[in-house]
Amino acid sequence: MTDHTTTDDAPSDDRSFDDSAPDGGMPVSTASVDAALESLDDDGLTGYNYAYLDEHTKREVRRSMLKAVAIPGHQVPYASRPMPLARGWGTGGIQASLSLLGPEDRFKVIDQGADESVNAANIRRLAETTAEVETTTDTTDADLIQSRHRIPEEVLTAGQRLVLQVPITDALRKVDPSDAANRRRHAHKNYGKMWVHLYENVVEYGEINIASRYPTMVAGRYLMDPSPIPRWDVPKLDDADHLTVLAAGREARIYAVPPHTAVEPLAFEDRDFTVERFPEQACHACGSTDTYLVEVSEESADEDGFETRYACNDSSFCRKRRENPELPKDHHLDREGVDWGPETPDGDASTAQRGGSE
Amino acid sequence: MRALGIDPVHETRQTFDGLLSAMSRPGTIHAVPTPADHAVVATLVDHEVTLATDDDGLRETLADQGRLESAPHEEADVVHAREHTGWDIRECKRGSLVEPSDGATVVYRVDALGDDATGATVRLAGPGVDGTETLSVDLPDTELTAVATAQAEYPRGVDVIFTTADHVAAVPRSVQLEVA
Repeated sequence: MTDHTTTDDAPSDDRSFDDSAPDGGMPVSTASVDAALESLDDDGLTGYNYAYLDEHTKREVRRSMLKAVAIPGHQVPYASRPMPLARGWGTGGIQASLSLLGPEDRFKVIDQGADESVNAANIRRLAETTAEVETTTDTTDADLIQSRHRIPEEVLTAGQRLVLQVPITDALRKVDPSDAANRRRHAHKNYGKMWVHLYENVVEYGEINIASRYPTMVAGRYLMDPSPIPRWDVPKLDDADHLTVLAAGREARIYAVPPHTAVEPLAFEDRDFTVERFPEQACHACGSTDTYLVEVSEESADEDGFETRYACNDSSFCRKRRENPELPKDHHLDREGVDWGPETPDGDASTAQRGGSE
Repeated sequence: MRALGIDPVHETRQTFDGLLSAMSRPGTIHAVPTPADHAVVATLVDHEVTLATDDDGLRETLADQGRLESAPHEEADVVHAREHTGWDIRECKRGSLVEPSDGATVVYRVDALGDDATGATVRLAGPGVDGTETLSVDLPDTELTAVATAQAEYPRGVDVIFTTADHVAAVPRSVQLEVA
């Protein structure tokens, strides 16, 4: 009898849930997401090891991470553990971060440039409660940054480490779904099939038309999927001061780009690698023209309908720029001229637009 | 690893922190808990990997914890040497072209690194090195030449960690090593 009652009640529960959030929810600030999570019960965390993972798991992740650094760009397999969230939600990044974090570290987590995402807030909270680390949203203040799909605008320094979450580990996957065949290609540095793919792109679109996961050579040996960062961020990996660790939980692979390593996006002599273009656009909030912008569609105030505006994707840097619009990306360094990331090209915007990515 | 005087959670984490910095910046020297070679083994070794070591105390401690899988140095994943006798790094596992990460990690215990060392000096260049880096190690020139040979078939090769009492430095296979 009880079972029947439960089944009958279920649909009405679903309806009432749907009614409560007709427009997909309200935007919330970092403070309030964290405050909301704070109010949740922390029972059940007692009894877990420091930094959640058991030491056996950490040894496995750490061994693979060291091999990954020793063979830049090579995908090292590791025994990826089940985590308290579904694979594909940053489980590789979490395992790498928790194997690295110590009580004196400051931890920053971003999701598509934003510290405010629920996923980022949850990962931050897991590290806070189990590894007793301090967290921050300020890029320059962090020792370890875990990121999904972006590299921060502010230049990372030698003392910092970046962990990127990786959904698909192999750049060759898009030209051949066979992992065994692709591993043989990597073994023999046989990347002909990728070059054909790029050539076909040029024939079809007039330029290499790859939005993210841009195929990139590391130290002249391994072709690497730099994770779904925009093309804008790929040059930041070249000869960087910081270590980048790329970790995939679902595919159970770790790879890395050490500091001062040559990272070269594939391109042809007569078809250069290009970054995203935002001709004559600036962030509507801070006015930046030299940051990676995203389109934001908002209801316009005075008429029905929507208007499209551009906004910085890196919300933490945008906040700083709103206070000081002249703030360079290397403001925290004692050296000058190490401003990273591309300038927004608006001078030759019309020619650059030719054959755009429609 | 209390038996070795190393905290199994926080000191292995500190050791890993030093190791990762050393491996990603070849030739630079980083502080780790002491004794550094035991700390490195405690951080990396359990029953999932095989170990070759000439250190009986270390072997007993690991065996007592069910963490020891012994192998001769030609087959071991981790090779640890306090005294350098009776084995040749050129015989260590280098992995395959498909899975080069199967190559061995070799941990040397030496008396001194850097300015205090009186042995061989090597010049390093490549990934992780901004320009060139030099490292002095208390080992004979012939040993460092053997390391260079064991790393010559990149991406196959061995990765080398040098430890003193409380510091580590690393020479991963990705760098070019030249004995000065």
